[in-house]
Amino acid sequence: MLFKKKGGNNSELSDEALVDLVKGAMDADTFGLLYDRFAPKVYRKCLSMTRDKDIAHDLTHDIFLKAFLNMNKFDGRSKFGTWLYRITYNYCLDHLRRKQRDPVAPDVDFQGITPRDEERNEEQLLGLRADRLEEVLAGIDVTDRAILLFKYQEDMSIKDLTELLEMSESAVKMRLFRARERALAQYKVLYSEDP
Amino acid sequence: MRENPFKIIGSTEEPREDLRKEVLGSVRLAVLMMRFAQLFVADYASVLFDKFKVIPGDNETTGQQGLPPKP
Repeated sequence: MLFKKKGGNNSELSDEALVDLVKGAMDADTFGLLYDRFAPKVYRKCLSMTRDKDIAHDLTHDIFLKAFLNMNKFDGRSKFGTWLYRITYNYCLDHLRRKQRDPVAPDVDFQGITPRDEERNEEQLLGLRADRLEEVLAGIDVTDRAILLFKYQEDMSIKDLTELLEMSESAVKMRLFRARERALAQYKVLYSEDP
Repeated sequence: MRENPFKIIGSTEEPREDLRKEVLGSVRLAVLMMRFAQLFVADYASVLFDKFKVIPGDNETTGQQGLPPKP
């Protein structure tokens, strides 16, 4: 072949090696390889958080452009995927916060939490019917919704979440616990007459 | 064992194909604008010095070319 497509020889490289190439040459075709690897996940995450295809489309566009323009800030301490999901998380939250009306989920008392409480509320949340879970997630604060989706849809570990949220492990566990409790409280509000 | 409801509600949808074009188009435009901006801001001190200096450098006859000859 007389003309090789740019970026074509790099498809076997690791994410981080591709990032180095993008940083060096600011080459859109090489960046396209990273796009191909991560766009479906980023798009689906935006879709889960917004429940709107057109908005998810636009958010995904902006997230990749932001990632490209900030590539020099990626220092390799975390995986490229985690760094990109952090941008996704923050960008989606910013967007949703601008749009969100007052959250309807009731206040919950968080005093004296035990590991047994954590286990119990996780079991309860994962025991919900899927169609009801969607309604519950739509009614809670966007920050709670986002962390629950990253944890239970993306199967992110506590360690991954500490990198994503830039928080300590105990803070992440507390944030997760609170998100689960608020979701369960919202469930009671919505379905108390038909549990 | 009951299936994780988060997985059930999770989308398997792919982004539209034109999104790739849009993203890479924006990236190319951003690169072009960065390169263009660099022309003006990369080393403006050196550019301005070359433009206004009086002592000509190597391969230059004078720093103030284009001035009419003195009578």
